[in-house]
Amino acid sequence: MIFREVEDRDLIAKARRGHVEAYNLLVSRWEKRIFNYLYRLVKDREDAMDLSQDVFLKAHQNLGKLEDVARFGPWLFRIAHNEACSLLRRNRPETDLESHVEGDSWGGSAVGRRMLPVEVSLAVERALELLSEDQREAVVLKIYQGFKFEEMADILGCPVSTIKSRLYTAMENLKTTLAPIHMRGVE
Amino acid sequence: MSCSPYDLRDYFFGELARDEQRSVDSHVKTCTACREELDELRLTQSTLLIVRDEEPPRRIAFVSDKIFEPNWWQRLWSSGARLGFASAAMLSAAIALHAWVSRPAAALAVQIAAAAPAPVIDVQRVIAASEARQKAEFEKALAAERQQWELEHKASLVRMQQYVEVLQKQMNVMLLTSARNAAAPSGEAP
Repeated sequence: MIFREVEDRDLIAKARRGHVEAYNLLVSRWEKRIFNYLYRLVKDREDAMDLSQDVFLKAHQNLGKLEDVARFGPWLFRIAHNEACSLLRRNRPETDLESHVEGDSWGGSAVGRRMLPVEVSLAVERALELLSEDQREAVVLKIYQGFKFEEMADILGCPVSTIKSRLYTAMENLKTTLAPIHMRGVE
Repeated sequence: MSCSPYDLRDYFFGELARDEQRSVDSHVKTCTACREELDELRLTQSTLLIVRDEEPPRRIAFVSDKIFEPNWWQRLWSSGARLGFASAAMLSAAIALHAWVSRPAAALAVQIAAAAPAPVIDVQRVIAASEARQKAEFEKALAAERQQWELEHKASLVRMQQYVEVLQKQMNVMLLTSARNAAAPSGEAP
């Protein structure tokens, strides 16, 4: 955990008064999380980078509308979620065409030997791709970003029960998909 | 089907209330099936976390556009001196109003008729008082601006420090990679 000499809420207050450097500092604190969240949703580094820039631009333009400064994180992720959804909607026909590809993602040639970490990473990425968009987003927000269910409900704009259902179904699917890794082990 | 008093998955993700969490804690100690279910969740989560976060390919930074920047008056108004100015203005208005309302009408006529040189002395005193007040207000505003500048400077330093940390981490990764490459068996290379 990083000790923050200047709190986010101070930076938000200064950014609202037009201090660009304060906003840049705020961006530097959140850009990695936002980029990785978007990258895991859209699966393209450049798209994720462009979307990240759009997210921070929109956040800056709407900073005055943020009611509870303490909930800046979920508010920012809500903007990122909307941006990702827009892009995925625009790209949907291509995504659907590309979605049905090879069956065994970790290859049949190396059956029996322990897997290398890089192989496991690829297998996990493939397993995440096999989830529905909603399920994947629930996993990303919970496992990788560590949000509480209440915050996820704010970000995704749906009830906690829906979030739980998506996450738990995704975890069941992942448990099955990742079972070969658990059986073979990692080097 | 789990026999836990509360949903094991809620327990696993730390979403239960404290007493509910304690209740599942004690249940899990005696129930092998629930322990196995929890182990599977832990295994799935740890496998997912093998995929690490990546550094963004570029840093995002915004530059200031002079057209949209607040001018000196807006900055001053939005600074801490705002309340001081407002209260000083209100006090001045109240004093002026009180003086105007409670002035004796007959005495005014006598002053105008009898004491012609008196207004010169009054004007000098008023000017001096006004200058002193303006100086005090200016110094107050200057102190507020200076404090603001110091805060910005501090924020910039923190940001620089964070950049340096990221650079150090990237250098460490590069050094590690080159060390691994050097240690790899040379026979595999074409």
